[in-house]
Amino acid sequence: MAAFMASEKPQKPGRAIFSRTLILLIVCGILAFIVLIGRLYKVMIIDHDKYESQAVEQQVRETTVNASRGTIYDANMKILAQSATVETVYISPVEMLKYKEDASLIASRLSEILSEQGVTYDGVMKKWSDTGSWYKTVAVKIEQELADKVREFKNQYDLKSVHIVEDTKRYYPYGSLAAQVIGFVGTDNYGLEGLEAIYNKYLQGQNGRIVRATTSEGTDMLFTGYENYYDARDGSSLVLTIDSTVQYYLEKYLAQAIEDNEIVNGAMGIAMNVKTGAILGMCTLPDYDLNSYGKLNDSALAKLSELGLTGEEYDKAYAEALREQWRSRATMDTYEPGSTFKIITLASALEEGVVSENDTFYCGGSIEVPGRDNPLHCWKRTGHGTQTLAQAAQHSCNVAFVNIGMRLGASRFYDYIQAFGLFDKTGIDIGEGNSIWWSRDVFEEKDNLSQLASASFGQTFNITPIQLITAVSAVANGGYLMKPYIVARVLDAEGNVVDNVEPTTVRQVISEETSRRVCAILESVVGSKEGTGKNAYVSGYRVAGKTGTSEKVGQASDEYMVSFIGFAPADDPQIAVLVILDSPSKDSGIYISGGVMAAPVVGSIFSDVLPYLGVKRLYAEAETDNNVAVPSVKGMGVAEASEKLGSLGFNVKTVGSGDTVTDQTPTGNVRLAAGSTVILYAGAEKPSDTVAVPDVVGKTYKAARAYLELNNLYASTTGVHPSNADTVVVQRQSVEAGMEVARGTVIEVSLVDNDKTIMETTG
Amino acid sequence: MAELYDFPYKRTPGPRAADREGAELKDYTKETALRKWSGMDLPFFLLVMLILITGLVMLLSASFPRSYYETVNSEEGPRPLYIFIRQVIFSLLGTGGLLVITRVRIEVIRKYSFWLMAASIGLLLFVLLKGISGGGAERWINLFGITQLQPSEVAKLAVVLTFSDWICKYGERMKTFKYGVLPFAAVLGILSVLLLMQPHLSATIIIVALGFIMMFAGGTRYFWFLVFGAAFFLAAQFVMSNREWLGEAAGAFKYAIARIDAWKNPESMKLEGGWQIMQSLYAIGSGGLLGLGLGQSRQKYMYLPEEHNDYIFSIVCEELGFIGATLILLLFAILIIRGFWLALHCRDRYSALVVTGIMALLALQVFLNVAVATNLMPSTGISLPFFSYGGSALCIQMAEMGIVLSISRDIPDK
Repeated sequence: MAAFMASEKPQKPGRAIFSRTLILLIVCGILAFIVLIGRLYKVMIIDHDKYESQAVEQQVRETTVNASRGTIYDANMKILAQSATVETVYISPVEMLKYKEDASLIASRLSEILSEQGVTYDGVMKKWSDTGSWYKTVAVKIEQELADKVREFKNQYDLKSVHIVEDTKRYYPYGSLAAQVIGFVGTDNYGLEGLEAIYNKYLQGQNGRIVRATTSEGTDMLFTGYENYYDARDGSSLVLTIDSTVQYYLEKYLAQAIEDNEIVNGAMGIAMNVKTGAILGMCTLPDYDLNSYGKLNDSALAKLSELGLTGEEYDKAYAEALREQWRSRATMDTYEPGSTFKIITLASALEEGVVSENDTFYCGGSIEVPGRDNPLHCWKRTGHGTQTLAQAAQHSCNVAFVNIGMRLGASRFYDYIQAFGLFDKTGIDIGEGNSIWWSRDVFEEKDNLSQLASASFGQTFNITPIQLITAVSAVANGGYLMKPYIVARVLDAEGNVVDNVEPTTVRQVISEETSRRVCAILESVVGSKEGTGKNAYVSGYRVAGKTGTSEKVGQASDEYMVSFIGFAPADDPQIAVLVILDSPSKDSGIYISGGVMAAPVVGSIFSDVLPYLGVKRLYAEAETDNNVAVPSVKGMGVAEASEKLGSLGFNVKTVGSGDTVTDQTPTGNVRLAAGSTVILYAGAEKPSDTVAVPDVVGKTYKAARAYLELNNLYASTTGVHPSNADTVVVQRQSVEAGMEVARGTVIEVSLVDNDKTIMETTG
Repeated sequence: MAELYDFPYKRTPGPRAADREGAELKDYTKETALRKWSGMDLPFFLLVMLILITGLVMLLSASFPRSYYETVNSEEGPRPLYIFIRQVIFSLLGTGGLLVITRVRIEVIRKYSFWLMAASIGLLLFVLLKGISGGGAERWINLFGITQLQPSEVAKLAVVLTFSDWICKYGERMKTFKYGVLPFAAVLGILSVLLLMQPHLSATIIIVALGFIMMFAGGTRYFWFLVFGAAFFLAAQFVMSNREWLGEAAGAFKYAIARIDAWKNPESMKLEGGWQIMQSLYAIGSGGLLGLGLGQSRQKYMYLPEEHNDYIFSIVCEELGFIGATLILLLFAILIIRGFWLALHCRDRYSALVVTGIMALLALQVFLNVAVATNLMPSTGISLPFFSYGGSALCIQMAEMGIVLSISRDIPDK
């Protein structure tokens, strides 16, 4: 060892030791830590956001606090759609295993409590078998009462794997009222159709959240109190322009018309405030119950079952039919408006001064049109002869309107179509279809006027019902094209108005003067004896309007769209109503014409809606209501009473031989059709038996009144004024045939004029 | 008590110039086995205690949730402190041991170092045989049912003590292959084989690296390190380029290759090997500059596996932020620098080599642990000294610090 030591050179190795130790010091004590700190800087500072967000994503669980969905009100703050709290029950197989809870006990009790919700023991057991799941829904949107029972059971056994969470459910108190307009929400409270979908953003509000950090197993952390609350903001409410009363009448009379006229494909109707463009009512029939939107309505179901489909094909067809019943055809579908469009032709021509009330038009039954191989026929093949402008409108004469259109010229006519907004969507706040028109080039072809000619009386193009009523309202209201709208106000959760929709004028299309002239002509369409629109007549009101009957385009079997658009009062229009009946059955025996089928619907709607809107009933001098109030003449002398009744236009029959009237049939203050026979009892006993109501539908007015009187019943009338026309027939009677009623009861009969020589059909 | 003890060693000079330049070395061959209490390097001791206490605090924070959730359904109810309490007990034992060892003369330790190496190899063989009979990887030896001992921990210390001894004995001959490489490589080879058979890759890496550091400090020619480095590089290339069939041929390779893949691309392998790495990065990255605050870690709630053990530093980062984590690393750095400073000032070579080895071992462990936690390196199970949970490892680390402190008593004018 000593020898070895001696052989060592004392300095060099020592220096080597020193320098190598120093190198190690620098590497181990300095460089290594610089590397580590550099790496920490990279991960903790540079990549901080990335890792933090990923970490938070896995650490944080969110619980949603449902915001309450806003309410939908009608114009009078009646609730059309409202959300209520319900509860959803779910189970957590993971927790069931973790806390060793009795799966079969839970399954049997849940299936017992929730049997009506379709919960079965086997169903719950199957859900338990998904052992990796935290969330298996058992029953959604159950009423609080049931949820309380589940809660009681949960508390009884202190179950951790059964959960009950609050949820909301949408209720529609009026069921099917304005169904396609209001629409509905899905199970997740998200609007799927109609206003519920379009205004979902406003209605649904902002769900609140509870964000908390949890362990990897989803339980709360011990001390790390990371919890954040984001308050739920309840949804806004909508106040619609739709008046549920107007809507009700619209639907009622449309449904009635579908039944009366055996309409195959349903009906559409729109009622609009002429001056503002506010939609007062809008319906598409057949409709559906919003509370069970997944069920097909009866008529669609009947049609579906006729197809005889099974299995998947049936399901597909069912789904297709559902989509069909949800669609708001009044705004989405286009159709050929037919003669109702003559209003636009007329207004444009008057505005341009190419026609005047003094012009006459000759209709020989057809007209040659450049560009057409064969002459264009008027709907009345025998022709209307020489007519004034107003008569041409009353007759709905196609030949005259082709002439008017030609005077206007294709270019100007096209400009007016554009000005009336018929190329564009109206801007209404629910979904709309696109109109279909000839291009300007084709329309203006110099040597082919067939497009112009057909368009003059409303054919060879397609528009939506909402476009037509918006344009006609512009004609009626002094020429101002309004933007139609359905939502009048948006209210916040506290009921404060956050958005108030003001009527929007798009442009003035015609002058107020022209508007007045068109209104006068259209009033005569309803008011005159020759008017095709006479069935829309409502006594005491000045109704203006126009009929329409068109063949459906592209249909193999010739199906028709019959329609009527009317507005009232003619001197100061307030409300316009358009009704369209899609495909009346040929087997009904009723003459297929807008004047016969659709005009009475508008008349009926006006007769209820105008008084409701507070429009005064004013009788023109020449005009009287067909019904007269019978005064009470009890105690009067027979002669005096007879004279009084006679002066009111009643016939009198006296029973008994006394001098004073002891009783009368009908009793006083009842309105009766003029010309009815009032029975006075002078000492004789008034019989108090009952009589069977006869069937008078289809009979002429005179025959019906006589027939009722023969059966000791009385008639009062609605609808068209019977005048003395033999073509006025009973469309409907207020008491069904065969019912037993008291002797002398007044039966209200709805009258229509069924004059085939007057009522237009398609050319 | 000052009993004279017969030391078989002559002192060789330490690295200091003053020692080298002929200053006479005191003959310590006739000395008492135990030292007086005075003369211990106080900064080093205080740094050790500071790191130990910091480590305990962080262990309490990191282990609390796991202790709680693991015991919450037990019959005695939740015992959220049980991991912490065990570590405190071992810290006290370790500190006691440290204080005792500071009084033991380094020559005593040197005398028995060969037996420590022999014992390490014996224990490794024992573990291996037990593991084979147990049918799986086995790294632990049960110590009286109180704690478990990892033989590799003992082996690390044995490598430091025996290699230092040999280096002193071989002196100038360290420059030759026969002395400077062969015996060390042979011992490292034996240890590596035993460890890889467990398999225990991380301990193998540490022991081999530690052995090389000792050889480096001892004067083995740089040439041989170049040779080893090149050989290692080529072997690694060979393994990585033939990974498919190697992976199928040998299970140990498959295991290592999978970790390397996860290291390279932890995010895409999040559900396989990358899970732990990603969770660690989430924790570290969430810390940001200032951290979530002591006790506020979220990743410790059963997201991060081994959060009280190999990945405790990730929780440190998450709770204390970049600044806190850097400060803790600086504590380690200062301790290591102070240790090397002591090594440079040792009056005899053996002491200097032992301190160098112990400090290098500490630096290696800290570096590898943090590098794995931050995905600077593929994951291997390396604990963080004084922080990670584990009684026997802590006690051995405290003993190593005790040895350094014992040596420090030899150094005058500190």
